[in-house]
Formats: sequence, structure tokens, C-alpha cells
Amino acid sequence: MKDPLNVLVVGVGGQGNLLASLLIGSAATEEGFQVSVGETYGATQRGGSVMSHLRLSRRRAYSPLMPEGRGDVLLGFEPVETLRALGTYGNPGIRVMVNPRPVYPLEVLSGQTKYPEVEKVLEAIRELSKEVVVVEATELAKEAGDARMQNVVMVGCLAASGWLPLRPESFRKVVVELFGENSPNLRALELGMAGGRR
Amino acid sequence: MGGPLELQSKVLSSSLCTGCGACTSICPYLNAVEGRAVLLEPCGREEGRCYLFCPRTEVNLPHLERRTFGALRTDPVLGFHSSVLKARAAREEVRGRAQYGGTVSSLLLHALREGKVDSVVLTGSSDGVYPEPTAARTEEEVLRCARSRYLLSPSVGEVVRLLRKEEGGRMAFVGTPCQVLALRKIQAYEEEWEVSRVELVVGLFCTWALSHRAGEFLRTKLGGRRVRRFDIPPPPANLFVAETEDGRVELPLDEVRSFIPPSCRVCFDMTAELADLSVGMVEGEEGWNTVILRSERGRELFEEASRRGEVETAPLERERLEHLREASLMKKKRSEEERERLGARYLKEV
Amino acid sequence: MSRIGLDRPGKRLLLSGNEGIARGALEAGVQVCSGYPGNPASEVVEALLEASKEFDLYVEWSTNEMVALEVAGAAAATGLRALTAMKNLGVDVCSDFLMTVNLSGTRGGLVLVTGDDPAAHSTTTELDTRNYARLADVPLLEPSTPQEAKEMTKWAFELSEELGLLCMVRSVTRLSHSRGVVELGPLHRERRKPEFAAPPPWTSGSSTFTCMFHDMLHQKMRTAAEKFETSPFNRYEGPENPDLLLLTSGPSYTYSAEAVELLGLQDSVGILKLGTTWPLPEELLFKHLSHAGGVLFVEEIDPFLEQNVKALAAEFASRGLGPLNFYGKKSGHIPAVGELNTELVLRALSGLRGVSYSPRPPEYASRGEELVSGYVPGRSMAFCPGCPHRASFWVMKRALKWDGREAVVTGDIGCYSMGLLPTGFSVEQTLHCMGAGIGTACGFGKLERFGFDRPVVSVSGDSTFYHACIPALLNAKWNSSNLLHVVLDNSTTGMTGHQPHPGSGVTASGEPSAPIRVEDLCRGIGVEVRVCDPFEVDEATRTLQEMLKGKGPRVLVLRHPCPLTEGEKRKRRPRVHVNQEKCIGEECGCMAFCSRVLGCPANIWDYPKNKAKIDEVLCTGCGLCAKLCPAGAIVVEEGG
Repeated sequence: MKDPLNVLVVGVGGQGNLLASLLIGSAATEEGFQVSVGETYGATQRGGSVMSHLRLSRRRAYSPLMPEGRGDVLLGFEPVETLRALGTYGNPGIRVMVNPRPVYPLEVLSGQTKYPEVEKVLEAIRELSKEVVVVEATELAKEAGDARMQNVVMVGCLAASGWLPLRPESFRKVVVELFGENSPNLRALELGMAGGRR
Repeated sequence: MGGPLELQSKVLSSSLCTGCGACTSICPYLNAVEGRAVLLEPCGREEGRCYLFCPRTEVNLPHLERRTFGALRTDPVLGFHSSVLKARAAREEVRGRAQYGGTVSSLLLHALREGKVDSVVLTGSSDGVYPEPTAARTEEEVLRCARSRYLLSPSVGEVVRLLRKEEGGRMAFVGTPCQVLALRKIQAYEEEWEVSRVELVVGLFCTWALSHRAGEFLRTKLGGRRVRRFDIPPPPANLFVAETEDGRVELPLDEVRSFIPPSCRVCFDMTAELADLSVGMVEGEEGWNTVILRSERGRELFEEASRRGEVETAPLERERLEHLREASLMKKKRSEEERERLGARYLKEV
Repeated sequence: MSRIGLDRPGKRLLLSGNEGIARGALEAGVQVCSGYPGNPASEVVEALLEASKEFDLYVEWSTNEMVALEVAGAAAATGLRALTAMKNLGVDVCSDFLMTVNLSGTRGGLVLVTGDDPAAHSTTTELDTRNYARLADVPLLEPSTPQEAKEMTKWAFELSEELGLLCMVRSVTRLSHSRGVVELGPLHRERRKPEFAAPPPWTSGSSTFTCMFHDMLHQKMRTAAEKFETSPFNRYEGPENPDLLLLTSGPSYTYSAEAVELLGLQDSVGILKLGTTWPLPEELLFKHLSHAGGVLFVEEIDPFLEQNVKALAAEFASRGLGPLNFYGKKSGHIPAVGELNTELVLRALSGLRGVSYSPRPPEYASRGEELVSGYVPGRSMAFCPGCPHRASFWVMKRALKWDGREAVVTGDIGCYSMGLLPTGFSVEQTLHCMGAGIGTACGFGKLERFGFDRPVVSVSGDSTFYHACIPALLNAKWNSSNLLHVVLDNSTTGMTGHQPHPGSGVTASGEPSAPIRVEDLCRGIGVEVRVCDPFEVDEATRTLQEMLKGKGPRVLVLRHPCPLTEGEKRKRRPRVHVNQEKCIGEECGCMAFCSRVLGCPANIWDYPKNKAKIDEVLCTGCGLCAKLCPAGAIVVEEGG
């Protein structure tokens, strides 16, 4: 494993970045890693771009922000936000998992600018990445009972992808610890894991 | 042609808005506030109904006359018409509730009763001061709205609302010259709504109206007494009279006149020249109306009502006709001066 | 059981910096905690609140930071250990007490946690509270990781108690809101019994007594400086005689370490990480400066270390410290504003050491830039779907337009600060600090005699009203200032995570408490007040327009709960959808009013059909767009 391993979670305020990074970070802690998780939130939770940086190391606690151009894995909850993050943290070796469902910014709703065609955005993401997996996470989350659980579905997909040096079991354990055995979140995680393997 | 920006610069910012409600009732960006339209923000369109329908933006009178009467006027002072005469309601109880002769109420009741229209849009008032546009469907509802309102009313807005909501059926409309003008513009330029549902337009003579601010003034002066009727007795009285539940209140006319809005000062039309028929007072004779029959449709309705004994008619005396023409001409002259002064060249001359 | 209260010494937990601070306080046996919500410090109090039952703590949200520090100070004066946490600007609010309690001292450990916000992510200033430690002459600790946050907080209590002096722990957003692995230590469960022993009185005295206390304070600080010389929180890593010494504190240390590692400069560059930054450990600094070829200061916000160490270096010259090159904010190597990160340290280091660094192929970087600028739209902040502030600002915008005079609208601190932005229809025109909206309105509202006849409107939230608006409202009443104060009452402290306030009817720990209503307060002092629901748009607009015409101070409460509180989230949301048959889209009479003007993230556009659409994932069912849709095309299905 590359050390430190740099994982990005990006989305829009309100999409549940915080929980996603907490799940991944906790799973890594469970497996004995030194973990640093940097969150960009605060006022940005109000509909702005949000980003979590996760840094996994066997050696020491790294800074909570990864340097530019050094992302290894990117979990994107929104297509243009994923591309935006790639522009700053991407490199030819990065792997990307993305929910293609757009969340329109005020600039688009107000007609100042257009939201690009999602297919074009995905193409751009592919061009900048070593590997891209597109996950219809919002649809899967609806199956689990609430479309807003797309974040947990995405974490499930990532857990099953083999891109992280973490066992899917650790994710399950973390979700059960946080939400209990019968929570819709566990269902969402499992659906994501199955989806990730598909 | 124009949109909200032009409306703002040519009409709203020069206080030329008549408060007719044509724009505010269809647009989330324009609100009716205290008898005038207020633009919240431009919607971004370069052309819009707000500008197109406004009675204070460009008026192509020849076009509107051809569309309404099938011909152009020959009388530059009173507009297109076939005859001018006197009339009054035949029924005593109608006359008793009317401003002057009750002709308008009688015609409307007749139209409703005969099923020529399903509803009548006119202006009522619960306190006798502030105007309330109303869609009346019964005799009682019509009579409740009888008598003149002196404050500008957004009654065109009510028609527009009904047209858009596909309600109201076939409609008659009663309004002042500016309201009639707005309505004719809507009928001429609107492409989507079924504008022909407005079957009958009754115009009311108007020299000037009062801005919304006058309402507060009157309410204060009247001390909350409910008004039955306002009237301006003939000169040289120089009074504005309110007949209230608790008696008669006389106000100096000049004080009231200070509430005439700029939009009235540019108005060229005293007799509602685009109506199917126009009705007003008879100078110096209580209990009768002057009636100008204009369109074929207006004439037919009037004659039918007269045949059925709903209205009584009489010829208009020569000197009274002359007086009417003089008053109309006077308004046109004042309007021309005012328009010149403001640079408000909205009227395409006939 | 609370997460931070886990009684398993040695267990590794992923905790935020704020949770680390709270855990440190538990390990130190804290008994009283107070604070006022403010990013980035709120979660310190929240974490302790969660643990309050099992550890028998008294935790309160106070009405403002001044009271908060006084509450904690009193507890500490009785010998208990007490902590108060606040954001940087909170220290301004409590500074009066801070500047006297430093002299009067403490018996139990008294710790003031401050959350600074480099780059002002959610603050209106980059205030560096380290200056307060110097100003008040109190010890200052600066943790760099959540683990250190825990250790330092724990030690801060011991130090405070030993010195009899309040001790400050300074965090920054990047630490408070970042998570790291924290190894838990043993919990301290012993409960002390409060005793308030007099004499001597608990005071900063006056005249000679004050000077005496001042002298005692200096003595305490000398003791602190001695202890700091050997503190394990100050660490050096690098060669014995580095060409360049990085002097750093807080999270800047982690950026420095990574930059040195990435450039492979471990053999020539050393890092002295200071955890105790006031008073400075002078001998430790002398030793490291003597061995260094040059010094680069890496710290956030003010050049606090930079200036104070330079002053020391002048003293050290007489002890033989040679001429040294100092780099940092003054030299321009480190930015003097904003937040630091590894790139910025890399840039400074590669410049000073003449090494180059490129994390990825330049063609990749330029292609990335090209694609981002080609496809990615900006994303500015917006009120959340269902936010009552959207309705309130639409009401305000309309009422002000209706009024027609150019009103001055002063804003205040909270989610509704976004009233300055398009999402709030740019209604607000000013923004400073808590309470400054109505305070400055008092001033604008007295300028009529000089010909300033614009109406004056001030805006505050409910929590801000209780925090800092009441004295200004009294002032407006007393001096009859012409202002209309609009309270956007969403019945919670929204921006910081829904903490209760005096109007909520519950305390921080959930105990019932008779709600203090804004309107009751106003009536009590004879100020005209009215209450509306901003979702009743027309009624609220008319009320506001009417009130604008008044004179003297007037208050309008626009009350509607924040949809993000737990209670509101549990409610069943009505389903909202667009009847596209009725929708007139971009035609005259609408022009995409819902999505283009209202700006609710859930009012999206169906581009192929060119009609409105609701993003049902985002929609909270508030129904505002349905109320305002000019075509009546938006349908709310109750009980959806």
C-alpha cells in the first residue's frame, strides 16, 4: 500500500460527507491505521462544495489535508464536484467512484450558467483517472428506504471495491456500532457492497 | 415593444401607473401595492405582457378602433359612436341604489338575466372608499357594486385572473377609460387566453380619479363613517361631497384634487372611447345618464334593454352635447400639454 | 453511553480535535463546562454535554461568552475544574472578564478553549486569540493533532491549578473539525466539593491591590515559563545543526513535517514544534536558534511566534547568538492571511532551499485545469431547502420594494448572514459581529436630523437576539432611534448545529425552562412588536411594510422552525411535485420563477421539457414555491 494512502470524499453540503468520512475513518482506525480526516465544513454545509480528506498511514498521523495532486481514491457524491476535486487532487493513478446524479448549484438554477451534460462530465472524469466506477447510489439508496442514504451506499461500494486496504467486515462493524443491527444504514451499506461488486 | 425595464423607466418611475392590475395580476415580479404596480426585479425578458397591456405604454388607437369597431372614428372628440342620448333605469329600486340614473346597473342586470354573460367584473367597496374588484354573478352582487368609486381600482387584474384561470365564463366588464384601454390592448395582443370571453365592455366617463393615498385622507376626514355615495356637485360649489350613514360631509374639492395621480393628468380619454358603450352623468340633471353607443354589440344590448323596458331613454339636449364635447376636448388638451411636458409620447395620434 | 466517555484506557478512537479536548477535560476530572455556540468550538461543549449525565457534570449553553466564562470562573473559584469553549470572536465578548480574572486567579483548574478560524471559513474575521494570551498574560497551549488536543487540555487543568491562573488552549478550525486517532487515557471520576473561602476576596482589586495582583501574575508566568522549558509538547526533529529551522505550532506542524518529507530535506532542515507558545520557552529557543542556519516561521494568522521570537533573538545577541536570517510572514515566504497547508510550506521551502517539487505530470495538471474550467460551474452557498430564511428574505425584499424608499438593512451573525448573498436576495447590506446589526441600526436611525431619511432595518436571529441585541434594543428605546428590528426566529441556533437558547424552553441538557419569548421581552420594555410566519408571505409582507412606516424602535418576529432540527426532521414531509401541464416555464408571467429567483436547491429544471421540476431527494416539503408559483403548477400533497 502507498503510505500515506489519500482518500477524498466530495459532494455538496447536505449530502452526508461527514458520515461517509467518519465510516471510512473509523473502519481504518479499527484496523490499526493512523488516520487523519480533514473536513471542510462549517458555513460550507449550506449548499456549497464539501470535501473530506482521509489519510491512512502505518507510520504516523499526517496532516488533515492532503497536498494537491496526491489523491489515491476519490469517492464522489456529485459529478461536477468530483471533476472539480480531480482538477486539484487528481493524478494519473487515481481511482474514482462517482454518483452521477447532479445537484444543481444556485448559479445554474439562476440561469447564469448551464450544468454540463453528465455524460461529458463522466468522460472528463475518465480522462483524468486510472479507473472509474459509476454508481447509481441514489437509486440504490431508494431501495434501502431513503434516497438521502446515497452516502452510505457509496461507502458500501468503496468498501467492496478492494481499493482500500480495509476489510468490508470492518465497515459493517462500524455501522452496527453507530446505528445498531437493524438500521436502514446497514441495509444501505450492504446494497452498496453488492452494487460495488456488480 | 418592451419588457419590465421599459415599463419601469417609462411608466412606473414617472408615476404614470394607473393601478389597473393588468400587469400585476399575471406576474410574480410585479406586485400591486397601494394602487400602483411595483417591480420587484426585472424577470429578464425583453418583451412582456406587462408592457404590452399597460394603458400608459404606446397605444395604437387606430389599430384598437379597427379591431373593436371595424372602422376608424369620424369624431375626434367623442371617438367612434353611433349615437349619444340620455337614459335611466326604469326600475325605481335600481335608480335608488345608483350613482345617477342606474343605466349601467340596468344594462348589466339585463345581460345577466338574458344569459348574454355569465359574470360581470366591476368595482365594489365594503367601506365605500377603497375599491374592491368583484366578479358579480347575481343581481344583488351587481347592485352591491353600484355607484362610483373615486379611487383607482385594479379591476382589469380581476378579468385577467379569470381569463387565466379559465373562470368567469362569458364576461362583461365595467371600467374607467384607462381600464377599458388596458382591456382592449389585452384583447388585441393576447394570443393564449380566450379574450373573446369578455363580451361586453361598459365604459364610465372619467375626468380624473384619486390615488390610493386619498383613501387614508378620506377615511381620516370621515372618521370611519361608511360612505354611501361620493359626488361632486356642479360648479361653482367646488365641493367634494360624501353621503355617509351618519349624514353628509363636505370637503373642499381642491384638497381632494391634490390626490389626483400623475397618471390621470396624461389621460386623453374622458368618455372611454374604446368601450362598447359609455355611460356618464348628465351635467345639471340628477337622475339621468348620458349614454354614448359605440359598437354594434353595445347598441344591440342597449336597444334590447330599452325595448324590454329596462331603461328609459330621452334625447340629449344640444347644449348638453356641446358641453360634453367641450369637456372631452378640454381633457385631451390638458393631456397633450402634460404628455409634452413629461415627454410621455405613448399615444399614437389618430 | 457517550463516545468520549468510553472507559477503556489504551483504546484507539477516531476523534475530532474538539472531541479530543472534551476527552482531555474528562480525564482531568472537569466538573463544570460552559460556552456559547460558535464555529469551530461548539462541539467541545456538545461532547461534554453528551457525557454530562454519566460523569455528573454541569454543562450549560450560556447566553453569551462573557457569561460563559464567568460561570466557569465561578466554579473554578470554588476549587472545581471548569472549562469554557468559544470561537475566536467570543474571546472579544468575554475579554472584560478575562482581563480581570487573570489577576484574581483561580483555585480549581480553569481552562479557556478558543477556536480560531484561519481563512475565516465561518467567521467574519481572522482574529488570532493567541494575542489575548499575551494581552492577559496567561499560559497558552497550541495542540497540533486531536491526540495532542486531549493531552494538552488535560495538562492545562493541572497547570492552571498549580499556577492559580486561567490557562488557554488554542485550537483552529482545521484541528477542531479534523479527526485523528486518539489513544484514550484513564478517566478521572473523583468529584470535588465546591468551597468559596473568603478572605481573601476574589477580585482583581484596585489601585495598589491591582498592582500587587499584577505582580503576582508576573510571578505565575515566570513559573509557567520554567515549566515550559521541559514540556514534552515542545519537540524537535531533524539534524543537530540544521541549515534551516522551521519554527511552528498547531496543525502547521503537520504541514511542515509533510513538506520536509516530500522534498526529502530531513538531513538539512529541522522542525521545532512548540506546544507551549506563551510564555515562550526561552532557553529551549536559545538552544535551537544557536544551532540553526536560518529560521522559517510556519504559523497561522498573526506572526505571533515570529515577532516574539525575534524580540528574544535581540536579547540573545548579547549571549552570542549570531546574525540569523528570519523568514516568515514579514519576508513574504508564508502568507500573512488565510489558512496554511502543505503546499504553502512546500512553496516556501522549495524557494528557500532551491529544490523543485511537482506532484504530477504538468500535462495532467493543465488538462485537469482545462476540463474543470470547461465543465464545472461555481457553487455558491444557498439556504437549505425548506429554510425559513428564504421566505423571510423574500418577504423583506418585497416589503422594502413596496415601501419604495431605499432602506438601510443591517445584518448580523448566523445562517441569515447569507442575506448579503443572492440566496437572500442580497437584502442585507452590512455584517460585522454578534449584535452589530441592531447596534449600528441605532446609529443609522438617529441621523434624520442631518438629512438621512432612509428607513433603517436590522436583522438578527433568535439566538443572536438573546446574545447581544438586547442592550442595543434598550438603547434604541431609550434614545428613540428609528429602526425596525426583524428577528428571524427559527427557534434554534441553526448555524452551529441547533443548540437551544433562552427562547427554546429547554436548557443545554434538556431540562425544561420557561421560554423567554422575544415578543414578551419587547413588550416588557414597551417596544411595539408583532409576530408573523414568513411562509404566510403576503401577510408577513403587509405587516412588514406597515411597520416600516412607523417611528421609534419596532420589532417584527418572523417565526418558523428550522427544518433541520431533529424534531422537524422526524415530521412527515409533504410530497411536492410540479404539474408540468400547468407549468408555464420560461414564458412571460413566470420566467422560471421557482428555480431562477427563489433559488431553492430543490427547485430544479427539467431541461428537455423546459419546465420546472422538484428534486424530491432535497425537498423538505415546505411549500414556499407552491405558494409563489404564478401558474399554480406546484402541488403539495399533505401527508405525502
